[in-house]
This record gives sequence, C-alpha cells and structure tokens, in this order.
Amino acid sequence: MIDEPGPWGTGPFTLVQGASSITTRPAIMNAEPFRASSIIESEQRDPQVVLEANLDHWNRAARGPRIERAVFRNDLTPDEALRLVCDTEGEVDIVTEVSPADAQRVLDSAHARLVVSDANRVLVGILNRGSDAPLHDVEVRRALNAAIDRTAVVDQGLNGYASVIPAMTPPWCSGFPAGVQPYELDAAKAREAFAKADWPARRPLRIATPESFAAIAHMLAASIRSTLDLMVEVVVVPPDQLPAGSRALIEKKLDLPWDVLLHPWFDLSSEAPPAAVHREFFGLDGAFRAGPPDEGFDALFDEMKVQLDGEALVEVAERIDAYVHDRALALFICAPQALYAVNEHVTFSPYRTTFELAEVTVDEQHWSVGGGRSGTSRTDLGDRAAVRPTSGKPTFAQASGNAC
Amino acid sequence: MTAPPEPVGTVHVVDPSPLNWLFITWNTMEEPIRIDQDGRVVHSLAESSEWLDERTLELRLRRNVRFQDGEHFTAHNVKQNFDEMQRWAAPHPPGTWLNFPAPQSTAEVVDDHTLRFSFPGPDGLAIGKFRGFHVASSAFWNGKDAPGFGYKKFGSGEGHW
Repeated sequence: MIDEPGPWGTGPFTLVQGASSITTRPAIMNAEPFRASSIIESEQRDPQVVLEANLDHWNRAARGPRIERAVFRNDLTPDEALRLVCDTEGEVDIVTEVSPADAQRVLDSAHARLVVSDANRVLVGILNRGSDAPLHDVEVRRALNAAIDRTAVVDQGLNGYASVIPAMTPPWCSGFPAGVQPYELDAAKAREAFAKADWPARRPLRIATPESFAAIAHMLAASIRSTLDLMVEVVVVPPDQLPAGSRALIEKKLDLPWDVLLHPWFDLSSEAPPAAVHREFFGLDGAFRAGPPDEGFDALFDEMKVQLDGEALVEVAERIDAYVHDRALALFICAPQALYAVNEHVTFSPYRTTFELAEVTVDEQHWSVGGGRSGTSRTDLGDRAAVRPTSGKPTFAQASGNAC
Repeated sequence: MTAPPEPVGTVHVVDPSPLNWLFITWNTMEEPIRIDQDGRVVHSLAESSEWLDERTLELRLRRNVRFQDGEHFTAHNVKQNFDEMQRWAAPHPPGTWLNFPAPQSTAEVVDDHTLRFSFPGPDGLAIGKFRGFHVASSAFWNGKDAPGFGYKKFGSGEGHW
C-alpha cells in the first residue's frame, strides 16, 4: 500500500526502509450499480522492509512500541525462515503462517516456540449452485455436508490445528448462533438425502483446490466417494492458473469447471462476520458466490447492514449464520488456527485478525540486546524477493486470489 | 504518570502472508478505529463516535496526536484522506462493499477535532469500514514528492496498495 518509506502515518512504527505493496486488477461483477473486487496480480516487496519505533506515539504507554526496530526479511523462503528460527539465533525471530505440517519441527526446536492462535479464519468448500450437477438442491448440499468427516480433516489434514465449527462464524465471534451444531458424518442420513436427488448417472463430483489444500481435498473426496457411492474427481489448480480462475469466479460470466472449490478465507474483525465472510461467499456482491443470488440470504444481509444498534446487528448476524448452515450453502469444513514460530527470547501475543508488533518485547538474552550477531546487515539481497511458498503444505500463505 | 519504557531490541520477521502489505500499513498508519487482539473494534484516532441521526455519524477525534513527520493530526487530515479515497471507484482491494457511496457520502469538518459524515442511508457497517480508512499526513498527498499510494510511481493511486 505504501510504496515508499516515509513518515506518513501516526502509527507505532515508522516505515524507514523498503516497502511492501501490491498491484491489483479489478474484477467487475456489475456495472450499475458498480460492484467489483480486486485480484492481486503481483507483490512488490523489497528484500528488507524496516520499521522503527515511533517514540512520539500517542498510545505508547498502553501499547508500545516496545522494540526499537522490526525488520521484515523478504529474502527468505518460508522453509529457510523456519530452519533459521528453529536452529539459529540472530537470523529470524518470528515466522508467520507456519503450516501445521511444520508445527512439530517448531515444538522440537531449542530456539523457538510454537504460538497458536484461534484466528478468524475459515476453510470451506464453495458449492457451485450454477453447476449442471444438482447443487441447487438443498438436499444434495446437506448430503455432501453429512458425507464428510470434519474431525478427521482437522486431526489428520491439519494436525489438530483447527476447530470444527457449524458454518462460517467461529464461537468466539459475535454472531455465533447458539444451538446450531456442526454437520456430522452420518452415512445413512447422507445417502437418504442424496437418493432423493436427481444426480446424473456417471457424472462425477468435481472438487478443485489450490496446491496447499490438495491433501485435504483428497480426504474429502474419499469420504464422499465411500459415503455416497459417487464418483469424485480432484483437480489441483496450478498456481499460474489461479488468477484466471479467481477472476472467472468473481466476474461470474463463464461457467465454472468445478462443483466444489476449497477456499480459505479470513475476517477483519470478530464483530460481524457476515460483512466480510458470509457476504463474500453468498451475497449479491460476493466475490466468491458461485451460482445465482440467494434471495433469503440477501434479505437477511440487507436487514443487517442498516442496523445502527450493535446488539440488533449481532442478532441478525446470528440468523445469517444459522440460515447458511440450514441451507447448506457451502461445504463447511473448519476454522484453521494461525501458527507462528517465535524465538524463545521474544514475547509475541497474536491478534486474531492481523499481525501487530507494538506489544512485542525481547528479553535481555535476545541476540539484539546481548551483543549477538545479526545475519541481516548485508545489503546484497537483490532487488526483489519472493517470499510466498509453492509447497503443497496446508497454509494460508497461498490464501490469496482476492486480496483480503 | 509513569514514563513508558524505552523500546529495546530488534526483531527479524518473515511473513509470507498475502496480507503483508496491509500489515505494514497497519503497523505504521492508523485509522479512526482499530481491531484489538481479540478482534474487537476499539477507537483509535477517534475517541468516540455517535450517530446523530440515521444518516449522520459524528467522530470526535483524539487530541495531541502527531504524524511521524511532526504534523498535528486534526479533522482536516481525516477529511482530506476521505476525499482522496472517494475519487476512486474501487479504493479498497477487498471490494466495493467497503465503499461509502459517492458522491452522496460527504465529510464535514465541524472543528479541528470533530468530523461529521453524511451517508445516503443508514450504514450499520460504517464504523467497521473505517478499519480500511488509513489516515496519512498532508505531505503524503501534497507536494512534488508525495507518494500518495502510488501517484508518484504509477501516476495513480488506485490499484496500488
């Protein structure tokens, strides 16, 4: 966003070196009224982005900053960063977006500890209600939801670092509907519901996924295959095809080549999840809505968005989550946790929705205080760096497509 | 009142998140509200907010705040940033749902620390939308070296975040 350093803000840190910005392309859903979202086409990150403490910050006593300087290193891959935070001192202090597949490595480290946060994130399967398969049929959608084993996905696919939730709102957020329970694996119920549907013979269910969630897609496919006796295909979308696929999903002109798309997403607050989450998947201006608008959802959202009283707004938000659950508008999977690897001499308390450094502290044994070395003083790091991974591990580091 | 502790030390961070551009922004810029550790909306550059009627939201702004370049923060800064954002059709990467409808939405400076927003209708999401309303100093927008979210580098601020 800020594409060159300078004293532009009032925040707890000043950007003094480098920048991290994105270039986006608009994806237009409707001309009048104008509705659009954005796709990140490229990231521009300098090898080092340096923040220095703003000693004049108005809230310094309550929040901080407590450290003099934060250096974002963009010259390392996540794997390199994980090795450095686990095995060395003075190179890397905090690594975000640690994959559950790497959690044990951090737990075993002598230098780092694993910090786990119930972040405001969901992993869902978008159901293409405009498909030539009968996903417009609520009984089919309910059958699919009753045909998957969420506990197995959490335990085996994410090593336990996730929560099963009923729909899109985690229980720690406002708008969580009391009494609504997650769909459970129920083979008899799933088969009974599915048998009523007019699913075409020899028509497979097509599940698409980014590489990072391929293993989970295969787990879901196996569960649906065995429960419903239905052919299921898994299509892993190569990274170079994700932008076009995202744009097709947002613009909603082309027929989509999948029935289910595994899609991670995150919220910007804990206050009203339907604004940034449910609306995006099911709303009239939802970037990830696949299929026709849902009048019931839009009526509820229209009711919610004009509520100026917080309690009244939350009451509608609860009804929205209960509605999308009842209508099985998505394949609800889980709420993944956010994992961080943190140097043992650094205190870091994660935020549910963002990454904040104001409250971070270091102790007297930290390399930057005790006279240890820093490995990042070199300046020959190249012009630009590619931090984002391309591994097949489950991670939100590849959660993009649309910016946030 | 006890003086805050002096900042100590340096941390090195590797953040592969696709939102890194936004996290850099949120650590250096501020908005009328922010989101606390638990995900709750709390006032930040605004001290309080009040709906005067269904279409009018008044923010009372914090005093004794300075930009990192020394400029004193006032309601005029908030209005300038609002007006600059309203020039664009899609000022927020997450989508136009975060827009305040233009040109009907306006910001009026009541005094140096009070600002009044008028919207075409009741907007229960308005206060939450302010999380995406990063307030930059005058120098960010004015003058020959003003970067202005990409103006200097790309000729436009829209689409560069």
